[in-house]
Amino acid sequence: MSFLRLCSSRSSRPETLRELLLLPSGCHRCLQLRRHSVRSSELPWGFFRRNYSSIIPKKDVGKDQPCEKTRLLQVLEARMQQLQADNITEVKCTEVQFVNRINVTHDENQSSTNNLTFLPDQEFKKSLNLSTEAFVEEKIAKEQMGKKCHTEPVIPKTASAPRKWIEKLDKEKRNKTRRQLNIVKKIKESKESLQLSSTKSVTGAKTTEMGSKSTSKGNVAKAPVTHRARPSVMSNREAKSDALHDFSVEAILAEVENLDQQLINWEPSAKLLEDEEGNKYGDAQRNILSYVEACAFINDLDRAHQCVMFHHRILTRRKQLNIKIYSVLMQLWAKKGSLSQIGNLFSLVEEAGLKPNLGCYMAALECMGRMENCSPHVIERCFQQLKEDGFTIQDLFKNCVFHKDEREMIMKAIWAVDPEFQLQPEPEVEICQSPLVKHFYSKIEPIKYPKLHLCLEQLKERFDRQLSREQEDTISISSVEATKPITEKMKRMRNRVADLRAKWHKSLLQAFREFKFHLAGDRSCSWKMNLYPYLCLLDDKEYVDIMIQSIANIPPNGEALLTIAKELGNRIYNKYSIRKKIKNEMVDKIKQIYYAYIELLAKDTELNNFLPREHMVKVEKEMNLGLSLLSEDSPWPHFLIIDLGTHLVDLMVHEIKIPMNTQSPSHERKFIPVLYHMYSFRSNKQIGFIKPHPILTELLSQAAETTLIFDSCVMPMVCAPIPWTSPRFGAYILAPTKLMRCVEGALQHQLLLEKCKSSDLHPVLDSLTQLGNCAWKVNKPILDLIISIFNDKGSEKLEIPPPLSEAPHMPKYDPKADISPAAKSVLKKKIAWVRKRAAEMHSLRMDALYKLSIANHVRDDIFWFPHNMDFRGRTYPCPPYFNHLGSDVTRAVLLFAEGKPLGEHGLNWLKVHLVNLTGFKKKCSLKDRIDYADKVMDDILDSADNPLTGRKWWMNADEPWQTLACCKEIAHAIRSPDPSKYISYFPVHQDGSCNGLQHYAALGRDVIGAASVNLMPDEVPQDVYSAVAQQVEEFRKRNAEKGVKIAQILEGFINRKVVKQTVMTVVYGVTRFGGRLQIEKRLKEVEDFPKDHVWDASHYVVQAVFSSLTEMFTGTREIQDWLTQSARLISKSGSSVEWVTPLGLPIVQPYHRTRTTLLRSNLQNLNLQISHDATQRPDTVKQKNAFPPNFIHSLDSTHMMLTALYCYSAGVTFVSVHDCFWTHAFTVDVMNKVCREQFVALHSQPILQDLSKFLVNKYRYNIPADRKSKKLQDYQRMMELLSKELKIGEFDLEKVKESTYFFS
Amino acid sequence: MALLKYKTMFFTVRTVTCRACGCLQRVQHLLKTDSHDSRFLESLPSKNQSPLKLAEYSTYCGRTERYLSAVACSVLRKEQQRPISRFDFLDMEDIEEITIKAERSRYLRRFVLNSDLANLIVERLDGDLSEDNAIIFECNPGPGVLTRALLNGGAQRVVSLEGDKQFLPALQSLERRLHGQLEVVHCDFFKLDPIGRGPVRPPAMSSEKLFNDLGIAPVAWTADIQIRVVGMLPQKTERNVLWKLIYALFERISVFQLGRIEMNIFMSEKEYTKLTAEAGNLKHYQALTALYQLACEIQLLHKEPWSSFATNSKNGGYGIQRSSLTNDHLCLVRLTPRKDLFTPTLTAANSSTLVLMLKQCLTKRKAKLIDRLESWCPGSGAKLLRQLGLPEDILTGDVHPEEYKELFEAMEHSQDFSQSWLYEEVLENMNSTVSHI
Repeated sequence: MSFLRLCSSRSSRPETLRELLLLPSGCHRCLQLRRHSVRSSELPWGFFRRNYSSIIPKKDVGKDQPCEKTRLLQVLEARMQQLQADNITEVKCTEVQFVNRINVTHDENQSSTNNLTFLPDQEFKKSLNLSTEAFVEEKIAKEQMGKKCHTEPVIPKTASAPRKWIEKLDKEKRNKTRRQLNIVKKIKESKESLQLSSTKSVTGAKTTEMGSKSTSKGNVAKAPVTHRARPSVMSNREAKSDALHDFSVEAILAEVENLDQQLINWEPSAKLLEDEEGNKYGDAQRNILSYVEACAFINDLDRAHQCVMFHHRILTRRKQLNIKIYSVLMQLWAKKGSLSQIGNLFSLVEEAGLKPNLGCYMAALECMGRMENCSPHVIERCFQQLKEDGFTIQDLFKNCVFHKDEREMIMKAIWAVDPEFQLQPEPEVEICQSPLVKHFYSKIEPIKYPKLHLCLEQLKERFDRQLSREQEDTISISSVEATKPITEKMKRMRNRVADLRAKWHKSLLQAFREFKFHLAGDRSCSWKMNLYPYLCLLDDKEYVDIMIQSIANIPPNGEALLTIAKELGNRIYNKYSIRKKIKNEMVDKIKQIYYAYIELLAKDTELNNFLPREHMVKVEKEMNLGLSLLSEDSPWPHFLIIDLGTHLVDLMVHEIKIPMNTQSPSHERKFIPVLYHMYSFRSNKQIGFIKPHPILTELLSQAAETTLIFDSCVMPMVCAPIPWTSPRFGAYILAPTKLMRCVEGALQHQLLLEKCKSSDLHPVLDSLTQLGNCAWKVNKPILDLIISIFNDKGSEKLEIPPPLSEAPHMPKYDPKADISPAAKSVLKKKIAWVRKRAAEMHSLRMDALYKLSIANHVRDDIFWFPHNMDFRGRTYPCPPYFNHLGSDVTRAVLLFAEGKPLGEHGLNWLKVHLVNLTGFKKKCSLKDRIDYADKVMDDILDSADNPLTGRKWWMNADEPWQTLACCKEIAHAIRSPDPSKYISYFPVHQDGSCNGLQHYAALGRDVIGAASVNLMPDEVPQDVYSAVAQQVEEFRKRNAEKGVKIAQILEGFINRKVVKQTVMTVVYGVTRFGGRLQIEKRLKEVEDFPKDHVWDASHYVVQAVFSSLTEMFTGTREIQDWLTQSARLISKSGSSVEWVTPLGLPIVQPYHRTRTTLLRSNLQNLNLQISHDATQRPDTVKQKNAFPPNFIHSLDSTHMMLTALYCYSAGVTFVSVHDCFWTHAFTVDVMNKVCREQFVALHSQPILQDLSKFLVNKYRYNIPADRKSKKLQDYQRMMELLSKELKIGEFDLEKVKESTYFFS
Repeated sequence: MALLKYKTMFFTVRTVTCRACGCLQRVQHLLKTDSHDSRFLESLPSKNQSPLKLAEYSTYCGRTERYLSAVACSVLRKEQQRPISRFDFLDMEDIEEITIKAERSRYLRRFVLNSDLANLIVERLDGDLSEDNAIIFECNPGPGVLTRALLNGGAQRVVSLEGDKQFLPALQSLERRLHGQLEVVHCDFFKLDPIGRGPVRPPAMSSEKLFNDLGIAPVAWTADIQIRVVGMLPQKTERNVLWKLIYALFERISVFQLGRIEMNIFMSEKEYTKLTAEAGNLKHYQALTALYQLACEIQLLHKEPWSSFATNSKNGGYGIQRSSLTNDHLCLVRLTPRKDLFTPTLTAANSSTLVLMLKQCLTKRKAKLIDRLESWCPGSGAKLLRQLGLPEDILTGDVHPEEYKELFEAMEHSQDFSQSWLYEEVLENMNSTVSHI
């Protein structure tokens, strides 16, 4: 019998209250229900009701509060006396104490969560208010305890104590369930008549049988607790005071239940995997969510429903459901217009102890809108509920994404109740408050920024092209090898390959369908999640296409199964999320918005004082389509992707066959598998490998096909990328892109971004948008040169990988041959080397082939690289192969699409740039470099005119291809009638000299350090490596005089080269161990250095380097040590290190202890090692070693972003490769100025103090459970360390502005 | 302290009972020990760790007594048979230093510190060592208790390979007293022929150099055992060492260049159980198992509880690995390479293919053998199985090691398999197998 129905029936007949109180379990609930019933007499929404634990008073009950409180006090006092009078067993005593403790914990928890999330003070007070009643109880209980529970000392409660309590609660729970059963039986027997009568009077509550069953279970669960606590009261329960008393005690117990939940959820690092709604995103949750969403996508409501119900029914699995899963299911039912199902789900949500989110209400309203004759009362009731949950109807439109006609339906429902309803205009967007960008956003002067030289129509046409390309999701381009003539044999082989492909396609398709059918038919346990819905997302043929395409990508010597599986799984996921957007009718909305947005960038429209992102948001609002610019991708968990991929690989291994002898078709046709699965044993690990059969490799190389198939998001965009408007939307139109790239499956970054205030992210989003808005084109003459060499024999010297035909020859090996073991071993080693070399060459060649082919494909076009960033804020272009971050070769073929005249200094900057690229004059002043360029002008012009036939001056440069490109540019400029008016498209770079150390020196205000990394103005550039080498040499001399042997041996061997790598990497956290290895390597390269002393010498030198660095950069070491130690203690206290950059970007380090997941498949069992799971304890070694470099990276990325923003507002084209800034020759001066100003501005901020404050605030709640233990000492040490003030030096930051070689 | 004293006393008393029949000298010796002990404790009041450890050691002695009681009589019997032992049994003076030294040792090691245990081991190794001409290689003797026992047991020539420098002086002083019967080399037997490229420094060594220095020449595979190795597998790398040895054995490289070498090694009970798992035990019958069963006769000589060995573990425990298998003992296992391992078809040159084949097969033991064969050479799997008389649906984990050998030989003779990728794969996986000549 349904308890819920019982309740609702009672509430509709308040006169039975007295009777009901006979049943102690129900009274608390019923009292509340009664209050509801006063407000709404009709109860079609009975199941909509939420239970309120009595210590969370509702607004409308506020008036009764004081009265209730006094009553409660009385009752509790009476109870106390009673308890004293009765002989209570110890069990009960501890129980009360237990309740008390939990309350204390609760309070602390509350305050801590408050502080953790930086809620304003009022909220904090409110939460205190909420628990006043709890305080009263607590006080009483404490007294009680003082009297009765001397035996057990009161352990002060701390936030991390819960673990013990969890154990205890578990025990209690087990007892509870046992008793529960008895009581349910009793209730059934004794109150049967009552139930019968109430069943009749049920008006609403059309709950399904199953739902109500579990509801009753949940409710009754509370009853036995009361029973147990007060068996004495049970005897005279008619008394009213007792009934009330009952109610209050039960309130406490209800609270316990509540807290039970909270405590279980408590886990400091687990917070990282929660979103704003408190939804957890563990693997289990994400798995169910993906499953339900996939079912939703294929309209398989039944499957989705069963899955959720199955998890809901089993208590342990219920925890794996979060509100988002329920809301997805509700939205599915809403499409069907089934209000009763949605109502049912609401009651399940309540039962699961979750709070409905906006999505749930959206579904409910949508459903009401869809129903033909939905009573306004019902809708009103829904609104009421919505308000009680603390939402407004406006929120609905502000935060939800609507697909198709959802918005209309909801409006319909709203208008049915409130015809006057109008959407309020949204308040102005907040402006980022960071002092660094305040000026930028205040826009005192009208902003100007680089416009594209394309007109509106062109841009629109380009957008359409990009859109259709992304809708197709793959693109075939012909490779640069296509220019080779086709021989007869190639033609024949190609035909054969095509035939084979057709055959494979057929057999794979059949096998795939069988596999799918098999999964679908597996209805024996229909609740079980299998891969079926994931195999229905696309057409069967598309899956097969993906599989067949992947064959060509497997290198001749095989690929790890895991890698192939991941690639296949990811491709399916990408396709699916594109389809989802198309299906949800996002495309047209985006198109409309983009068309309006693009006016901002076109050359033929007016400037309007908006930044691209702001304009985009504004346009979106004006369109009044609701939120469209949010993608709702919920990423699949990593293991799901692998699982899906492995199954497909399994199909491929079994189905794809090839005739044994392709050469002579007449011969007996024996078909053998093309791919085989085997194990490779690498240092005691066995790795599953998939290898193509040599026959296939042979065939493919003979066919030499020249078509490459790429995902559309691998290509650069042909229209300006969509500006990043939020962490969930930007870059490509449809292809899913993450704002923050991360290790596969690490979700904490994305959740952190979504949780932070949107205005805080604006500067980051704007700078990424701006970097992406730079248009590019191809430097055709250079590209042609490179391709010609590539198609010839390549050139190792010029970094153009030669084809496999140039690979060293494989020696013959016959295992049966009779040769000496020594000769055999040598031969084997040689073979191993040749194989390794061939594998390397193949991968290099393919990489170059992809890059050049893409470049060649866009050779006549203008294109864009959308940008995103890594978890430290360093920015990267999204297309993986061809981008400006690449090698010398790819950089050399890129030009800005927009040209600017060279201006007065442009030519000189080009010359400086050229000399920089050659690397010949690193220690000379700018003037010297220009003079040098003039001196070798003859060589430069020769290089430009006859690159391959002339004197080949450019080939000796550090970066030959860029040098060559620059030579050509200079030649053109000089030969033009007026060089200052020559339109140059050429990007000129300015590099930071040892950028990491620059930031350290500025942080610590080191005078000597600052001078050595060019923060101080000087005539010639300083070289920090030489300076360190000099210092080390002095140190050595002193020691040698003292008679230290190794110092004497090292005489004459210490130079710049030996120390360079170590100095460079010190910033990035190299340890003594790593440093020693580097130096050992250098010393080994020195020929006349005695080999026996290498080990000792490297030990000595690394020591010397570290101490000289400490001497030169006094602050640096101290800061580095402080960072390392802080990270170590933070990590030991159980949290991963988090911080916020001066621009407001939240950062969290994803290093955790490795967790292994076992994945079973037909081929083999796969062990997935996951080291970024935020629910695991942090990996202290990684956290501590990585913190200093990551922190410095977050600073250099901040500097870059600031420079980008201000360059933009100055109308300067700007792109960056980390610490290398690019712009036109004409604007180098402006960029240099901005760059220095922003560096000063950045470091004028109290960066370290802010960091210290943030860390203290963040981690002061990691108080260990056990106060006596060593951990508490650790905690104290952590707090001391975190709040420590670091001494800084005397360096005057302003000087940076005058330093010529700061960036040069 | 009182407790400690008591324990020490207990120890001495025990020794008395143990050696009750022994000569008077020993009792005196014991008295000396006692005074030593107390002095030792007084002299090191600040180092609270060492006395504790020693105390533990004493307790362990007490504990061993029980295990040894059964053995004791055999030892007694032996002593009666050989009235003259060539050396003093054990200086307690040494034991103190040795214990301290052992604690300082960097890696987790176990030591035989108890002469009874040492004698027992010698007893189990062979009835009478003096009748055997084989050279005994003792790996990591540490304090040398076992060394003495071996020499006392009549061993003609003992080579002690000790990897830890701190034990060397004591061993070398013993060496000097013995006129060539004992040779001490700074070398770790289990680190012979390292795979890496760096310079080989002691305790790592190339086996060629070692044998050159010792003047031991190779003999034919079928000749009698020339070298017997006695030692304890390093616990952390137990499995790796076993792999390394079996690779070396099959390719007849490293120490197996010299011919068959009998290995008497202590390994954990867990590893022993795995090594002796029968075909059909899908959980524990692994590639290593099959390879060892194929190549060696495996003979369990003795089982000894972990507690009988002194350890230098930091937390004072025995440092036993956790395992789902029973793992209460260290097992003294004798691995004797089979004379008939190599045949005209299976030679040291192609044996790596067999090793790889077994590894491929037994990684997943629930797979069907025919699937594997088909993947190596499509179409001939069924034929091969018929030829060997194996059922078609046999699982790889059900095939006996000898059957694998037959299978391999059949494959070698078969034309179809000559083109199999398996041969190429051998080269690919070579880095882990071939370290040197």
